[in-house]
Amino acid sequence: MPANFINLNDFYAIAPEILFTIWGLLVLTIDFSLLSHKSSEERGRILGWLSLTGTLITLLYMLGPTFKVALSFYGIETSAAEIPSQLDPYLFHGAIAGDALTRCMNIVIALLLAMVIVISMSWSFTEHWGEYFALLFWAGVGMMLLIASDELLTLFLTLEMMTLCLYLCTAFEKGRRRSAEGGLKYFVYGSVSSALFLFGLSLVYGQTGTTRLDAIESALLPTSGRVIGLQGNVSAATAVLLILVGFGFKVAAVPFHQWAPDAYEGAPSAVTAWIASGSKIASFIAMMKVLIHGLGPWARQPDSLLSPGWIGLVAVIAAATMTYGNFAALAQRSLKRMLAYSSIAHAGYILVGVLAAAVAVKGTSGKPLWNPQAAGAVLYYLVIYGVSTVGAFAVVAWLSRDKDREDIDDLNGLGFRSPGLAVCIVVLMLSLIGVPPLAGFFGKLYMFMEALNAGEHGRLALLWLVALALLNSVVSAFYYVRVLKAMFLRQPDKEPIGPAPSGVAWPIVLSTLTVVVFGVFPAPLLEAMGQAAIPMLSSSETVATIHPPSPILGVASSGGRIGKGVQAGVNSEGKPVLIKEQVLTAPAPQPR
Amino acid sequence: MNDDIPLTWFLYFAAATFSIGLFGVLVRRNAIAVLMAIELMLNAAVVNLVAFWRYGPQPEGEGPLTGVMFAIFVITIAAAEVAVGIGLILLCYRRWHAADVDRYDTMAG
Repeated sequence: MPANFINLNDFYAIAPEILFTIWGLLVLTIDFSLLSHKSSEERGRILGWLSLTGTLITLLYMLGPTFKVALSFYGIETSAAEIPSQLDPYLFHGAIAGDALTRCMNIVIALLLAMVIVISMSWSFTEHWGEYFALLFWAGVGMMLLIASDELLTLFLTLEMMTLCLYLCTAFEKGRRRSAEGGLKYFVYGSVSSALFLFGLSLVYGQTGTTRLDAIESALLPTSGRVIGLQGNVSAATAVLLILVGFGFKVAAVPFHQWAPDAYEGAPSAVTAWIASGSKIASFIAMMKVLIHGLGPWARQPDSLLSPGWIGLVAVIAAATMTYGNFAALAQRSLKRMLAYSSIAHAGYILVGVLAAAVAVKGTSGKPLWNPQAAGAVLYYLVIYGVSTVGAFAVVAWLSRDKDREDIDDLNGLGFRSPGLAVCIVVLMLSLIGVPPLAGFFGKLYMFMEALNAGEHGRLALLWLVALALLNSVVSAFYYVRVLKAMFLRQPDKEPIGPAPSGVAWPIVLSTLTVVVFGVFPAPLLEAMGQAAIPMLSSSETVATIHPPSPILGVASSGGRIGKGVQAGVNSEGKPVLIKEQVLTAPAPQPR
Repeated sequence: MNDDIPLTWFLYFAAATFSIGLFGVLVRRNAIAVLMAIELMLNAAVVNLVAFWRYGPQPEGEGPLTGVMFAIFVITIAAAEVAVGIGLILLCYRRWHAADVDRYDTMAG
């Protein structure tokens, strides 16, 4: 086989994506052929179950190696040795990576897709079920490949694949005018932002002559190995600005957020859940890959955090995003719109975590010192945020099935009629506020602690950001608690919403369980995410030489000490700050 | 290569095209015109990519056609985007009987 030929084994690594693509085509074909004479509701039900089956098959396929490793962890020997061979961070000539990050996140994406499909089946909002489910699948393929992409062309291609499918999904609710309007607004803002993004990418390509992220980093890094910032480099500053605009739109950060409330409100609730969870997770991971991995040398000047460089810009965006999102959410009557603004606010918190990851990664004394725990905390927060958001939008789907608008007042008295689900919703809302001992609290805690413990130069700036984020969390409590007040303190309306369909109940229960379980036992997920974060931050070759292989995911890790510190701390009950110190005192991996 | 058009000319051209596109997006009210302006912006990026491929640095281990391949894929994406965009505009046109982006304002707050 010639050296420049694509290795056919690479296709095994993207089997989940291939399965999703084929399953989308299958759903579409079956809708057009076998089901063409059936009624709309019946087709929706059959195709929904078919799509769910496909997602679960893919999920099981992806979880297979994890089960094997888990079994061998408890002393039951299976053929676990074959697993690392599937983890190749350099697939298709470096276009995409098949590392721990993609493996973990593919599982998360498939899980979210399963929940979104279940929510879609709870009420009949369209007749074009085949197209709808196929587009959900293909958006999922876009997200998975976006997370995996290690190169600018693939990144742009998959970003567009994801968003093009989501534009269409947004406009799928036939009976409502606002759906088409939301779709068009999403499309116009999204495609302008991706044009800006692409121009930024072309400037980066012009400066470096390459599109691969690690080659970009080494091309930008001066021979001294120190970060240089953007001082006096107009072209680089333009590129960074345009790239930030592009990612800012995708993650709905202020001032690029205008599309988000309208698109979220217009879209069918299941699609809103998909946009707010999956596409946000994928965009944030791509953002961290491009900024921290590729454009790391442009982060800042060596001796100050807020010098010319993208760190300062991201800090300003983060502060504006969380403040605006929370205060705008206070004024909303519609639950859907309130959750849209709250998802903007959460993007602000996550950006603080991105900053922490970026500062923790690049040591200023010449060679970089990796601290994957900071980026791992961001991933942990993303996963928890994604799952709890899907649960929250399942509540919205319940309202949109029965009511024309999704006002918070429509939840009045729900606590008396469906007490079980109401308690689940309470838990979800408390987790979104960040109340211990739920997972949302630990997500915020880890992220903000990493921010406080990050670089020695920027501690003051990050301290301000974290203080602002905590203040914002308090503000966010007001609007989340309004939901609880409506459910438990008000009398039911004359026309209350009906009992929950199972398509709404299951996602709510599942996300509540996730939030509770990973709130009480955050260590396994946090450890997995810390390991998954490693390939995101540095070129694969560097990691492979730094870290010994870990048994959990069969990938490079920073050794078991950090994870065990977390475990011990959590088991000693209820002192999260102490836990965190144990984590942080674990020695950072040695530089190469 | 001394007799060639210098790289900066291409970059000025691309920047100008891009600015015209951005201006069009911000100023025009007709949805189709906005779509055309978006296409201009994408094409400016394509010009940039091809110009940088022809004149820019070429590090070790890089394939011979990176910029051109990027440009071809961008053209494909632009076509897909137009298809989706026209579909959405038609959908809105049927509801409002107008193609002005200002008119679509049932949601606010």
